[in-house]
Amino acid sequence: MSKRSAVAGWLLGLGPLVLAAGQALAASEVGQSTADIVHEAEHESGGMPQLDASTFATQILWLIISFVVLYYLLKRKALPRVADILEARQERISADLDRAAALRVDAEAAFEQYEAVVAEAQAKAQAEIKATREAIAADVAGRTATLDRDLAARIAAAERTVAAARDKALGELEGVAVEVAQAATERLIGVQVGDEEARAALARARQEVA
Amino acid sequence: MAGPLEQFEIKPIVRILIEGVDLSFTNSALWMVIAVAAVYYFVVLGTRQHALVPGRLQSLVELSYEFVAGLVRENAGKEGMRFFPLIFTLFMFIFMGNMLGMIPGSFTFTSHIIVTFFMALCVWVGVTVYGFYLHGARFLTFFAPSGAPVYMLPLLVPIEILSYCVRPISLSVRLFVNMMAGHTMMKVFAGFIIALGVFGVAPLAIAVALTGFEFAVAFLQAYVFTVLTCLYLHDAIHMH
Repeated sequence: MSKRSAVAGWLLGLGPLVLAAGQALAASEVGQSTADIVHEAEHESGGMPQLDASTFATQILWLIISFVVLYYLLKRKALPRVADILEARQERISADLDRAAALRVDAEAAFEQYEAVVAEAQAKAQAEIKATREAIAADVAGRTATLDRDLAARIAAAERTVAAARDKALGELEGVAVEVAQAATERLIGVQVGDEEARAALARARQEVA
Repeated sequence: MAGPLEQFEIKPIVRILIEGVDLSFTNSALWMVIAVAAVYYFVVLGTRQHALVPGRLQSLVELSYEFVAGLVRENAGKEGMRFFPLIFTLFMFIFMGNMLGMIPGSFTFTSHIIVTFFMALCVWVGVTVYGFYLHGARFLTFFAPSGAPVYMLPLLVPIEILSYCVRPISLSVRLFVNMMAGHTMMKVFAGFIIALGVFGVAPLAIAVALTGFEFAVAFLQAYVFTVLTCLYLHDAIHMH
């Protein structure tokens, strides 16, 4: 800050220097007022107005005044406004970026949480399915076993009934065979064969067949 | 008809004589003051709305601000940014002076060697003083290029010093000659337009082209002056 004002002061300090230089220049133009010099330089030489030394002092003076005033105005008033605007925008942008980053982190956390919930739910569902399946399998196995037992019992009963029926049928068949044998013997050879005899003969015949 | 150099004449508006020295408020001074007002109100009006999303004028103001800031940062380094207001003032003052000079009937104060030379001299002296302020007597080693063989130094050091001392002259003459030559050319060709009658179309076309060209030069020379100032500042800060 002090260095800058030193620069400005330095520029201002050149004022007296300009004055002195102008005086020296004026003195070198013998006996002419400076206003005359301006006009005569135009008409006599017809050369470049840039080389007319009598106008140097005023140009330098007004250059210094204008420049210092502009420097002061810009530095103190105008440029801070521009800097403020740019800074505010930069802050806004970086704040927005920060917020976006924070939101992103939040979103990621929420996503992770969601994934965890989903994974948990899936695991729970899997466990439930497995348990249910096992329960059903156990139930099915139990019922199958009961049914098997039941069926086996029934089959056994049925077999017994069938066996009894067959035995009975076979027994009756023997009586019929004895009667047939007695009747046939009587018709063929006219011999009365006793029950016992017929029965023994039948047993012998069956053995021969077997 | 007025000669092509008449546009450069300094005409007093308010005569001021102090101890025999002519310090009149002239047409040159008037246009300097107009340039100051134009630059100041350009920035102030442009930033009046303080808009987050800039309008047209504010964009221009921000553009020039960022442009000069980038110029200083790139050419003079971060340490040069402390001189940003000064260099911004320099650029805008020269640029506005050149641009206002494009208004027909106005006066281009940058077409005078004494104005450009005085600015260049201030830059040169200021930069040199700053160099000595930063580095003390070590700043003198700036004139001995590092890596150069010792037996070459008697030749190199005078060359370096000479080229350093020529800086304010080259800096000022470049701006002054460009502005003066451009405006003289425009005037010369404009003079031909009436003189040639129907065939004046040719110089008219050239004058139109030159006008466009001069706008480019007006910007370019302000830019070059500013860039070189930044580079000199860079030399003072970093010593190569």
